[in-house]
Amino acid sequence: MSNKHPSDIPPRGETKSSRGQTVLRAILAVGGGLVLVVLGSLLVDFGLAPSWLTGATRDQSEAETAAAQSGGDGKQAALFQPPAESTIPDDDFGKSVRRGMAIFNDTGTNAHDFVGNDLSCSNCHLDAGRQAYSAPMWAAYPVYPKYRGKNKMVNTMEDRIKGCFTYSMNAQGSPSGGPPPYGSDVYRDLQAYFFWMSKGLPTGEKPEGAGFGKIDKPAQEPSRQRGEEVFAQNCAVCHGADGQGQKDINGKVVFPPLWGPHSFNWGAGMHKVDAAAAFIKHNMPLSEPNKLSVQEAWDVAAFVDSHPRPNDPRQIGDVTVKDAFDKWHHKHQGFYGKEVDGELMGPGYPSGDQASVPAQNENSGG
Amino acid sequence: MTDKKPDPRRPDETFEPFEETRRIPWPVYSIAIALAIWGVIMLVQTSTAVEVADKTQKEVAKEDSTKLAQAAAPDLDAGKTLFADNCATCHGDAGEGVAGAFPPLHGSDVVKLGGAKAVTHIVMRGIGGKLNVNGDGYEGQMPAFGSVLSDTEISEIASYVATGLNDDAKTISAPEVADIRKVAGDKDPFDGGAGLAGLINDLPAQPNSEAADQGADSERVARLVGQGTDTVWACASCHGDKGEGIETVPRLAGLPAPYLAKQLHDFQRGTRFNDSMAYVAKGLSDREIGELANYYASMSSPSGAKPALQGDLKRGAQLAKQGDWSIGVPACFTCHGPSGVGVAPNFPGIAAQQPSYVAHQLAMWAGGSRHNSPLGLMAGIGKALNDSDRRAVADYLASLAPMPAMDKTELAAMESNIPVREGVDQ
Repeated sequence: MSNKHPSDIPPRGETKSSRGQTVLRAILAVGGGLVLVVLGSLLVDFGLAPSWLTGATRDQSEAETAAAQSGGDGKQAALFQPPAESTIPDDDFGKSVRRGMAIFNDTGTNAHDFVGNDLSCSNCHLDAGRQAYSAPMWAAYPVYPKYRGKNKMVNTMEDRIKGCFTYSMNAQGSPSGGPPPYGSDVYRDLQAYFFWMSKGLPTGEKPEGAGFGKIDKPAQEPSRQRGEEVFAQNCAVCHGADGQGQKDINGKVVFPPLWGPHSFNWGAGMHKVDAAAAFIKHNMPLSEPNKLSVQEAWDVAAFVDSHPRPNDPRQIGDVTVKDAFDKWHHKHQGFYGKEVDGELMGPGYPSGDQASVPAQNENSGG
Repeated sequence: MTDKKPDPRRPDETFEPFEETRRIPWPVYSIAIALAIWGVIMLVQTSTAVEVADKTQKEVAKEDSTKLAQAAAPDLDAGKTLFADNCATCHGDAGEGVAGAFPPLHGSDVVKLGGAKAVTHIVMRGIGGKLNVNGDGYEGQMPAFGSVLSDTEISEIASYVATGLNDDAKTISAPEVADIRKVAGDKDPFDGGAGLAGLINDLPAQPNSEAADQGADSERVARLVGQGTDTVWACASCHGDKGEGIETVPRLAGLPAPYLAKQLHDFQRGTRFNDSMAYVAKGLSDREIGELANYYASMSSPSGAKPALQGDLKRGAQLAKQGDWSIGVPACFTCHGPSGVGVAPNFPGIAAQQPSYVAHQLAMWAGGSRHNSPLGLMAGIGKALNDSDRRAVADYLASLAPMPAMDKTELAAMESNIPVREGVDQ
């Protein structure tokens, strides 16, 4: 500056001052821009930029909202978060918890003797029994023991799990011919898993997220025909056009069968159209909960639940479908004991031969 | 001259106006400060990277030296961990197997008779077809782990299976595994129990091999794959001789034929975008598409993928095995099958897929430029994953053993599922 010859300085005047201002403005603009770019890039680099700016969808509050909406029909109640798997302790209790989790996720392998179909607990209790509105185990554990109308007695958690094996896992078709006997390690480990998962929840209170959530009544009576259409478009890609699920190259069941000899029997809760509709609405298709409308969920539930499946295990000996219907099913919203396309729903399959041909149990009412 | 008036514009010689009045403008300061901060952060990042690289190098060196040390005694604890990660999914945590599906490794006559050496051969090459273990019949497909496990790792697993799960006292060392790799590493999977006969003496009777008739592939397919035509580039020129893929070019070997055919039809129709593939697919007839799909579906080849995106493998394993339901993402394996081997016809195998390809496709689903998955299932999942999740899961999948090829009978059973050009898009 000082070595600049003064004569180089342009003459003062309007032009010079305006040019000076222009230069200053330019420096300000370019400099400010650069600063913004640098700071912005640093923010993005360190993940400090707000999600609406970057378009990332992993914002915590969004994830929570999504979780809350996934089953709550827009209800924004705070849902219980079960502990992470990594917090399972490294001791004998933890081992039991892990065994319980293994049984839950691959029941046919880890409780092989007591499973008479191709299902696992986690097929309906999603995310290893942790997902809200898919009957999470953390919501069930704190409300047992409780009185159940289904067997008209106070049920312990063990009684309740025995019911799951008897009906949903169709234990009558298992190698042992029945559910695990009382006192079995299967119950012990499953209960350890549920107990561990429910840490911190008050007993005796039904937490938000329990069961399959509420579903509105459909505008129209559920229709099997419409349901068949919904099924073909939304379910068949995984569960197969024939609803029999799919296996991998080694014959391991990947997608569970929804009806037929290898699915749950007529005593399972899921045979009730209202239960199935709520489950489907809030959980299916997997990863796209609430994609189906209320009407579609009811329709497809009616379609799925109006196919033959193994008999209700209480319907044995001289007990006909009609007897069983009058005793256990008359209050249910289901197809048990009714005729669908001329076929009676309920007789199941001849014992010992879980083949694909349904037994024609004639004259047993309808 | 002396009377010449000083130029009024001329400031006093001693006056230094600029230094007092003209400060450096604040934007310049800001730029300097910002650049300085940026520089420091970059410096720290680079030095961390260097440290990590150093550490990795040291670890590799250490591994090399321990490898030598382990020539005598493979680490059985490491073997147990590797077993849990790679074998337990099918064979069970304690190697107890699954009746009718996966043979037991604990108390297995095949392991007892063949020892760690036979286990090494089977782990390296894989095995498929009918097999008798302890008198029970099995028929399954075990992938070849030779391309995804190191000699040390295989020696640890094989030694654990032989001595930890059975009473055999003899372990196998990494150099011995390396020797086996030299002679058997490139061979096809064993053809069931019959294929083990030459390996294990006194093996109890095994079912007859049903050596799949691998008959010469049609000349046309061989030409398409190897040389291409005027309008179709040779598949192998990008996807590799063994269909193993590279970087953003996917592995094709062992993918379900109906899936491959659908993708080619989608490229033709423009429902899946890729300039190269659109050009190639438009030059293919329906018949050629069917044949190519079968060709790659029945191809068994080693993994050509390795974790390459610095993804968090632990997070990747979590996403693949359990999913992250807090962001609405179920486990990959829920639909793509245990260990990512795929479920024909709609769910392709994802094990040993190229990580750059997987991460790229997930990003394309997220952005909507790929949208041809059934029910749009992958769109939601792609959107839920962030960049580091995509890299994590892609890297984890790249670390898995490749899915076994389908045999001709399975392919024939699937023939009806191969869509034709006019077919309904799912």
